[in-house]
Amino acid sequence: MNYIHLHLLLNHFPTVGFGLGLALFVAGLSQRSADLKRASLVIFVLLAALTILTFVTGNDAQAALRETPGVPAPAVDAHETAALLAFVVMQVTGVFSWLGLWTWRRAGGLVRWNAAAILIGAVATTGLMAGAANLGGQIRHPEIQGAGVHDAAAIDPAQVAGATPQRSRGRYVEEHSWVWPTCEVLHYVGLCLLCAAVIIIDLRILGVGKQVLSFGAVYQLLPLGEIGFVLNLATGLVFFTATPQQYTGVLFVLKMLLVVLGAANLLYFVLADELWTIDEGHDAPIRAKMVAGTGLAIWVAVVFCGRMLPALGNAF
Amino acid sequence: MTNLLLRIEHSGLAEWIRSTDSIFGYYGLLTMHTIGMAIVVGISAGFDLRILGFAPGLPLAAMEKFLPFLWTGFAINAISGTLLLATDATHKLVNPDFYVKMVCIALGLGALQLLMRDLGRAASVDTAARSTNTKVMAAVSLACWLGAIVAGRLLAYVGAGSDVR
Repeated sequence: MNYIHLHLLLNHFPTVGFGLGLALFVAGLSQRSADLKRASLVIFVLLAALTILTFVTGNDAQAALRETPGVPAPAVDAHETAALLAFVVMQVTGVFSWLGLWTWRRAGGLVRWNAAAILIGAVATTGLMAGAANLGGQIRHPEIQGAGVHDAAAIDPAQVAGATPQRSRGRYVEEHSWVWPTCEVLHYVGLCLLCAAVIIIDLRILGVGKQVLSFGAVYQLLPLGEIGFVLNLATGLVFFTATPQQYTGVLFVLKMLLVVLGAANLLYFVLADELWTIDEGHDAPIRAKMVAGTGLAIWVAVVFCGRMLPALGNAF
Repeated sequence: MTNLLLRIEHSGLAEWIRSTDSIFGYYGLLTMHTIGMAIVVGISAGFDLRILGFAPGLPLAAMEKFLPFLWTGFAINAISGTLLLATDATHKLVNPDFYVKMVCIALGLGALQLLMRDLGRAASVDTAARSTNTKVMAAVSLACWLGAIVAGRLLAYVGAGSDVR
């Protein structure tokens, strides 16, 4: 198995999964079912996180296809462009869904404007993802194309995937020398904001400052972590789309896998009811301590995988 | 002076850091430096933002419990930073940007000390947090950490010997 298998395996979740989540969400809205609505928000957040991995493994798949004759570059490029747009809209929907889960405790449900934003985002994501998936399928599924389109002999060698390395997206970053260092600085700022929430919440669960801190107090820090996460997702996307050739290989895929696990880890703190029994002076339940300890380890590992990319990965 | 810097840069330790594949080599030290930064700035910024009005329900009395972790992060960075500096002493120690970073860190730690003193003096830490003085100090602290991150990141881009992409 290689990354292409991984991309082909993972690409079914964003399309099929988001569609199912949307159906659940619509059912939840029409039946006024809190459980259905909450379940669909969890699906949206988890799928948005998982799609990070789907998106970046497409890069490895593309790199591998460069050596395959008969794969037309325009088909790969069209799929990539459609996937990028669908990915961004999905992440925005994921952020609104996360916010909906976080404010659920205080508002006692989903706020109306946020429900509207999530519904619009989920419909748009499902449509855009279906379009991107269709274009992806056309890269190598002769049965859904007109006859003769994929006659390998008719393809100009210069049109083979990867033969046109100059993409318009990367060019803006290349021509403006301030973009890359600015995004790097913001990537570090995002890391610090994420860690502000992660360190204080996880250490409290593990017992630090437990005499004065309840879970309800540290819960307020979670949006800070989400802001950091989104900042790093956005700046990371700039790095990735500008110089995709740096982000291939096992170390980067491992980093993205850890980011998905980190997002799932943070979701526990938004969802778990058992955490709200932690008052000032109370010990956290053992499961919460395990999740908190794992969370700290995951984010340290994310920093390790990112920082070691020039040494052990393919970054320069 | 240049002679001294050259001797530092070509010392056995600096040579070893540059050439080794071990986890304590150049990129391993950079990793530790990044983790240390996340600890120091993360904890400090978390409480600075609390003082400035974010997460108002977070009791500031908890801040001192997190200070040992902050200082552990600072120790990691003092050690990893000194070793990283040794590997490129001839360039970094004559780069004004390096001194901008050092000043930002010194001021950031100073702001943290003044903040803790203000909070310690007040009858209740959460009343002290409402004073303008404390809020200014929190804002200064945030600005210093941001300045240190910007100056630190730009060390790869400005000055002689920078590894501009």
